[in-house]
Amino acid sequence: MNFEVLEHTADIGFRAWGPAFENMLAAAAQALVSIAVEIGTVRDAEPYPIAAKGEDRESLLVNWLNEVLYYVDGRQVAFRRFDVKSCGEWQVSGIGWGEPRSEAHPAKLIVKGVTYHQLSVTNCAEGWQCTVFLDI
Amino acid sequence: MQLHRLDEWRVRIDRDERRGMKTHVIAFASEPILSQIRKDLSLEQAMNVATLPGIAGPSLAMPDIHQGYGFPIGGVAATDYRHGVVSPGGVGFDINCGVRLMGTTLTEADVRPRLKETVDQIFRDIPCGTGGKGPFDISPRQLEGVLSRGAPYMVEQGFGETRDNEFSEAGGCLQEADPDAVSSRAKERGRPQLGTVGSGNHFLEIQTVESIHDEAAASAMHLEPGRIVVLLHCGSRGLGHQVCTDYLAEMGAAMKRHDIAVPDRQLACVPVQSPEGQSYLAAMRAAANFAWANRQCILHLLRGSLRKLYGAGTHVRVLYDVCHNIAKREKHVVDGVKRDVLVHRKGATRAFPPNHHEIPQDYKHIGQPVFVPGSMGTASWILTGADGAMRETFGSVCHGAGRLLSRTAARKGRNAREVQDALAARGIIVRSETRDGILEEIPEAYKDVDEVIAVVTGAGLAKPVARLRPMGVIKG
Repeated sequence: MNFEVLEHTADIGFRAWGPAFENMLAAAAQALVSIAVEIGTVRDAEPYPIAAKGEDRESLLVNWLNEVLYYVDGRQVAFRRFDVKSCGEWQVSGIGWGEPRSEAHPAKLIVKGVTYHQLSVTNCAEGWQCTVFLDI
Repeated sequence: MQLHRLDEWRVRIDRDERRGMKTHVIAFASEPILSQIRKDLSLEQAMNVATLPGIAGPSLAMPDIHQGYGFPIGGVAATDYRHGVVSPGGVGFDINCGVRLMGTTLTEADVRPRLKETVDQIFRDIPCGTGGKGPFDISPRQLEGVLSRGAPYMVEQGFGETRDNEFSEAGGCLQEADPDAVSSRAKERGRPQLGTVGSGNHFLEIQTVESIHDEAAASAMHLEPGRIVVLLHCGSRGLGHQVCTDYLAEMGAAMKRHDIAVPDRQLACVPVQSPEGQSYLAAMRAAANFAWANRQCILHLLRGSLRKLYGAGTHVRVLYDVCHNIAKREKHVVDGVKRDVLVHRKGATRAFPPNHHEIPQDYKHIGQPVFVPGSMGTASWILTGADGAMRETFGSVCHGAGRLLSRTAARKGRNAREVQDALAARGIIVRSETRDGILEEIPEAYKDVDEVIAVVTGAGLAKPVARLRPMGVIKG
C-alpha cells in the first residue's frame, strides 16, 4: 500500500508515492478509492479505461483523480488497482481494475471533490510523492 | 500577522499586511473566538481572497470561519460585476448547500412520547448517508426542468404545496440558469440523488422551540415555545460537486488567457463578463436550482412520514430556506457608492434587513430569517437580518458553529454507542447510517454556537429570534 491518510480540520487527505510518477498516480487513485469505498472485497474483475491531461504535474494529478472520482461516484465503480502509462506531455492513460459497486462494498465517505489546497508533487530519492486534500 | 482589534466584535488586517492584497480583511470575532480561528489557516485564506481582481469592499470573515479550500469557510467577498472576477472556489463544491426550516402543527407534547418511532420513520423514508439513490426516479427531461426552474418545478410535478417556495431565498429558483452549461457527467452524477440528504455534516433535525427572543418576529413565523420544527441541511449533491470540478479544470487555462494570477490555485477565477465566467454562473445557478429541488423533495417525504404517524391533518410549512454556498448578483453601497456586485458567500448566509424588496411580504417588517445550526445535540438559532449587515457585510452573516476538531480527532478515543447513550440521556435520539457519522459530528468537534451568535448579534449584523433545542437527529 503506497499511501497514508492525512487529516485536516474539516476534511481529509492522503500522501501517496511510487518509484515513477505514473506509479504515484496509481497509488493516489488507490488512496482516493479507499477513502470513498470499503474496498476489502472488491475484485479486479473488469478493466475501466481512464485517461487524463493537464497543463502541468499538479493539474494532471488533480484531473486524473477527478476522473477516478467520476467513476466512483458517477458510474458507481469500485476499484482494486490501477495501471497508469504516460502518453504525451502532461497526459496519461490508465486502466482501473474493479467492478460495479454493490452492497458488498459500501461507501465510506462521499468525496465532493479533489482540491489544490496544500497540494504538492515532489521528486525524491525514492521516486515521486504527492499530498492531496479532498473536500468531503 | 498584525491584527488590529476595532472593538469587542471586530478585528482588521490591513491591506499592507501582504503584497498583492487589494483590500483589508475584517473578521467578526470576539477574543475567545479569535483564539480558535487563529489555530488554522482561515485568516491567511481571507487575506488571499483580498487579492482577487475587482474585489469591492473588504474581504470578510464570519465568526464561524474555518479553513477551507481557497476561500475560507465562513468567508464573504463581493467583486465588481462588470470589472471583477467570479471564483468557483468562493462558492465551493456543494453549490447551494443550505438550510430549510419547516414549522409543523405538532408540539413537543405530541412528539416526545413517540420520539423514537418518529425518528425511525423519517430515517426509513428519507435517504441519508453515502447511499447514492433517492426515491425520485426523474427522467432526463424532468432533470432539465429541475435545473431551469428549481423547487417550484417539483411543486408543479406534485411534490409540494403551492406556498412552499414563497418563503425561500429567490423563491427556490435562480433565474438565468442554463441546463446546457451543466455537463452530462454532472447530470449523470446528480440525477439519481434527487431527494437525498447526503453525508458529512448534512442532517435533518427534529427540534423544539426552546426560547423566544423577539416576540414580533416569532409571531410572524408562527413560533412559540414547545412548537416542533424540522431543520434540514443539505445541498446539490454530486451534481453541484461535478459542476465545480468541471469549471475549476477549465479555469486554469482561462486564467492564463486573462492574465490573472492568484496566490492559491483553489482560488481560480475569471472575469465575470468573460464567456467562461458567464458559463460558470449559468451552471452554478442550475446547480443551485437542483439543491432547492432536492430540499423540496425531502420536505415532500417528511410530510409523508409525519402524516403517517400523526394523521392527515398534520401540516408542515416552510418557514424559510437559505443558501450558504452561492455567488449572487446584488446591489450594495460600497464606500458611499451604489455598486453592482457579485457577492460570494462561502459558508455564509444572506441576511437582508427589514423592508428589503427580496423579503416575502409576511416577513417584510421583521427582516429575512437566517438559520444557524449548532452541532449535533446542541442548540440552533433563528435570527433575522439587521441593518448592520447591509452596511458592513453585503447583507451576510454566519452559517453555523464552525468546525474545531478534524474528523479523525473527533473519532479518537470515542465510542459511538456511548455518544448516542449520552445524547439519549439528554432526551436526544440520533440515527446515522454509520458509527463514524455520529462520532465525527460530536458537539465537541464544533465551536460554541451561542458564542458565534453573540458576535453576529453584538456586531449588529442580525437579531436573535428563537433558540431551538434538538430532539431527534438524522445524520447523513
